Amino acid sequence: MQTHKNILTQPIIDMQNVCIRYGVEPDVLSNINLTLEKGSFHFLTGKSGAGKTSLLSMMYLALKPSKGTVNVFGANIGYAGREEMAMMRRKIGVVFQDFRLLEHLSAYDNVAVPLRVRGMGENEIKKRVKELLTWVELDKSMDKICSTLSGGEKQRVAIARAVINRPEILLADEPTGNVDDDIAFKLMKLFVELNKLGTTVVIATHSTDIIARYNYPQIHLENKELKIIPALRRVRNVE
Amino acid sequence: MLNKLLHKHHSELPLKEDKANLFLEISTAISVFLFSIALAAYFMISTVIKTWNSNIIDGLTVQIMPSQQTISTDEEALRVGKVVHFFEGLDGVKKVVPVNEEKIKRLMAPWLGVNADIDALPIAKLIDVRLYDGKNFDFEKTADNLKEIAPYASIDNHGIWLKQLVKSATSLKTLSIFVLTMVLVASVFSIMYAVSTSLKVHQNIIEILHIMGATDAYIAKQYAKRGFIVGLMASFIGMFFSMLCLRVISHLSSGLETGLIGSARLDGLHWFLLLCLPFGVAVLSMLTSYLSVKHTLKEMM
Repeated sequence: MQTHKNILTQPIIDMQNVCIRYGVEPDVLSNINLTLEKGSFHFLTGKSGAGKTSLLSMMYLALKPSKGTVNVFGANIGYAGREEMAMMRRKIGVVFQDFRLLEHLSAYDNVAVPLRVRGMGENEIKKRVKELLTWVELDKSMDKICSTLSGGEKQRVAIARAVINRPEILLADEPTGNVDDDIAFKLMKLFVELNKLGTTVVIATHSTDIIARYNYPQIHLENKELKIIPALRRVRNVE
Repeated sequence: MLNKLLHKHHSELPLKEDKANLFLEISTAISVFLFSIALAAYFMISTVIKTWNSNIIDGLTVQIMPSQQTISTDEEALRVGKVVHFFEGLDGVKKVVPVNEEKIKRLMAPWLGVNADIDALPIAKLIDVRLYDGKNFDFEKTADNLKEIAPYASIDNHGIWLKQLVKSATSLKTLSIFVLTMVLVASVFSIMYAVSTSLKVHQNIIEILHIMGATDAYIAKQYAKRGFIVGLMASFIGMFFSMLCLRVISHLSSGLETGLIGSARLDGLHWFLLLCLPFGVAVLSMLTSYLSVKHTLKEMM
């Protein structure tokens, strides 16, 4: 049986000497070394254009490094086949800054996507999606087409979609940017709860309030480089 | 399995609204129209050649030329009987039947009219000889032997004049296979083009699906399902018009009951195969879509 200590010592994402470059442009990030242990919680910070989205893209396996090695779940993504990548992605939940919902589908169908790609039965999908949409207070809007939802509603759909699979890694790009404080802290509570259950969480944010309140270590990007800012104190009863 | 594919698979891609659908429907309908016409032509030509081979090549006609002098009916019957007896004694001969006057009158009617007094005309007597295997029958030797016992009789070997006709028909058959292949290739490329266009249009959705953990096969199945439906619908349209066309051709050729192309007909099996065509095209469309998507996705995220 795995102990909590064991869980925390297993690297779930490991980057060594990683560079990211688009085409012939200069490096967006260079010589990145980062190890995220299973069950860890980090904020990802840095100015706009610092490379947060690129780093997250690599973590959710949408981008391969121009140089260096990236291991996710112990597998080098440079050598992983398409099928293997798909299986790994199923264990990663992503919340995008611009939501990236399937606008022509209902909130229900958007949240159901990660379950359907796994081949789950419709009855189980219905149960889980309804439960989660009720939790994010979208039970009355679940049949609405996403293009008709407000920004806040869309964000909650995006978050529900990211966590429906109970992912091993949760990556969120400004997840609280379009919601009011109450919802923002409710969502943060969800992320913390998932983290307590063993999910590795990385949240890109500009919100100093949230960083200060939750006080997890920060992955800070500046001048194409990465540095870890440790938490000042242990997280206790933040909810 | 097909049922499962069609009904239990949710489609996240809005393929129903694709503008490429109209292009695919029209091109598939035209392809099916051309394909079914070419296929029907192939079947008809095959039937004609088969009929020629069995009914004409496996037979010969003996002509007994009218005598220069007036001879009695008995004498005439004797001349015919001598030839019939000759052929009945040969190996490889299935049946020997003297053509009766009624049939000769019927054959001559288009040229002489129905009321012609055929008895007053110096028309040759005919004997229809059926063979087991016309291709291996020694016509020359038979003709020589016949000349010795009945110099007034001559053999009309159908194979000689039919050879050229069979050659032409075989060329037409090859042409129809070429047309079928071309239509098939054009259809496959149309589907591939439509799929590739659609993949570009839906690139953003496909990326999201990949991020959610969708495999290439999951996405390809959605295209396969759409390909099947579009293929089936368009095929029925194409088939409807080709059936109309074949009906018109059949009606126009109904006046050619006798003669060499009278046997150019579609039998039950041919109609069955033609009617199966929409399902064949739908399956082809489904498989092409599936494989095309799988191949193209390899170049994407």
